Amino acid sequence: MRLHPRTLMIFITPAVLIGLWWGYVTLFKVPPFILPPPQMVGSELVRLFAGGTIWPHLGHTLGIIVAGFLLGTMGGLLLGLVLARLPGLERMIAPYLLFIQTAPKIALAPLFILWFGLGITSKIILVVSLVFFPVMIGTVLGLRSVSPAMLELSRILHLSQRQRFLRIELPAAVPEIFSGLKVGAVQATIGAILAEWLSGGTGLGYLMVFAGTTYKAPLLFAMVIVTALLGIAVYQALAQCEKWLLSWR
Amino acid sequence: MVSSVLVRVNDVTKSFTTRGGESVLALSETTLEVREGEFLSLIGPSGCGKSTLLRMLAGLIEPTSGQITWAGGTPDKGGDIGFVFQEPVLLPWLNILDNVRFPLDSFGVDRRMGDEQAEQMLALVGLKDFGRALPKELSGGMRQRAAIARALVYKPRIVLMDEPFGALDLLTRDRMNDELLSIKAEVGATIVFVTHSVEEAAYLSDRVAVMSARPGRVRTIHEIDLPKTRSEAIKDLPAFHGWLSQLRKELK
Repeated sequence: MRLHPRTLMIFITPAVLIGLWWGYVTLFKVPPFILPPPQMVGSELVRLFAGGTIWPHLGHTLGIIVAGFLLGTMGGLLLGLVLARLPGLERMIAPYLLFIQTAPKIALAPLFILWFGLGITSKIILVVSLVFFPVMIGTVLGLRSVSPAMLELSRILHLSQRQRFLRIELPAAVPEIFSGLKVGAVQATIGAILAEWLSGGTGLGYLMVFAGTTYKAPLLFAMVIVTALLGIAVYQALAQCEKWLLSWR
Repeated sequence: MVSSVLVRVNDVTKSFTTRGGESVLALSETTLEVREGEFLSLIGPSGCGKSTLLRMLAGLIEPTSGQITWAGGTPDKGGDIGFVFQEPVLLPWLNILDNVRFPLDSFGVDRRMGDEQAEQMLALVGLKDFGRALPKELSGGMRQRAAIARALVYKPRIVLMDEPFGALDLLTRDRMNDELLSIKAEVGATIVFVTHSVEEAAYLSDRVAVMSARPGRVRTIHEIDLPKTRSEAIKDLPAFHGWLSQLRKELK
């Protein structure tokens, strides 16, 4: 079998990086509690997955991401649709939305805990607040991006409002909505892990805090890898969806 | 041959209000008839109101005063008017066949019948093998042919074309002109065609309405007395060149 150079790179690059990592740790005798060697992190990963420790935590985090992402997306789509329909309302509330949008919502996390408790609700709400804005803005921009000629076409053909929306405006808005969704998905992952950092006893975020406060450097490194892979997986899942939906582009 | 009048534009004016609140007269009192089955061109410099007039015929804008009377009642259904824009305005997420079938879908025509009619129309505009292609995969000329197919597929009472070939290169444009004539001969549609090309107007039209600007109005209407069946050959006739210089003179 001949491998494409790019496929080859997928294996070569990490191998080189791990090699450098191993070389550095061995050569300079870095203590494992500062930077554990790759094989230690590797066996920690194996222990986490094969031993089954990771699953409830991963499930918890994924649950928060999915629930928060779905709720935030629904809210963002809905308000986006309303605002795109009512430019007057949009002009009225746009400055406030911009204010909330630019405020670092991570800073709201303690507030959500105060309001919604230490349980899963406050975590989901943090994720919702992170997903909501990019999706809403994507929806408004997308619906606005419909060309005037297409709207004229829908008038020539006497399309009903419903037909115009479903057959012209919504499909035309999909690319912009998806850029909102992708931003939202990345934010959701960060938000879920951060929320677990702050409170609770389950989740990838919790495991990281646990690893950090108990000086389990191999576990911490393993968790960095797991969360990074999770982020990539979430983003890729959406990117694949987009590729499939937007194959016409 | 005396054909019946399809639309009568009677003392129609159109003024727009600018951002500054001033009223600008885009079209001063205009009277014009469109005859059943004819090819009528509106030609004139920019600002003469030719697109405005076309858009009023399409029902996209309302006249400020005057009436537009249709034989058989004002168009009020989706299938009454075919419109071809300067750009193809295809829906990029649909393939060419779905784009051409789009109007039929929205009028609730059965999918299989719609496919059949759309395929026929595609064959007529020379895109038989491109039904499955996406708009982005076709050239500008081919996209515009698909747009024409979409405007004709539901057999509208009138086809309005707003400089449909204005964005194409000259060679493609000449070819599209010939194809448009053969399509028209095939389906027998009434066409109102906006252009600023004197050649295009003289070559395609049964009648040409010459318009002038500031204020926009119809100056003269000519019956183009060239042979009914047009082909490249008539471009060599002295009569054709006579029309070209006549129209050019009036446009000055």
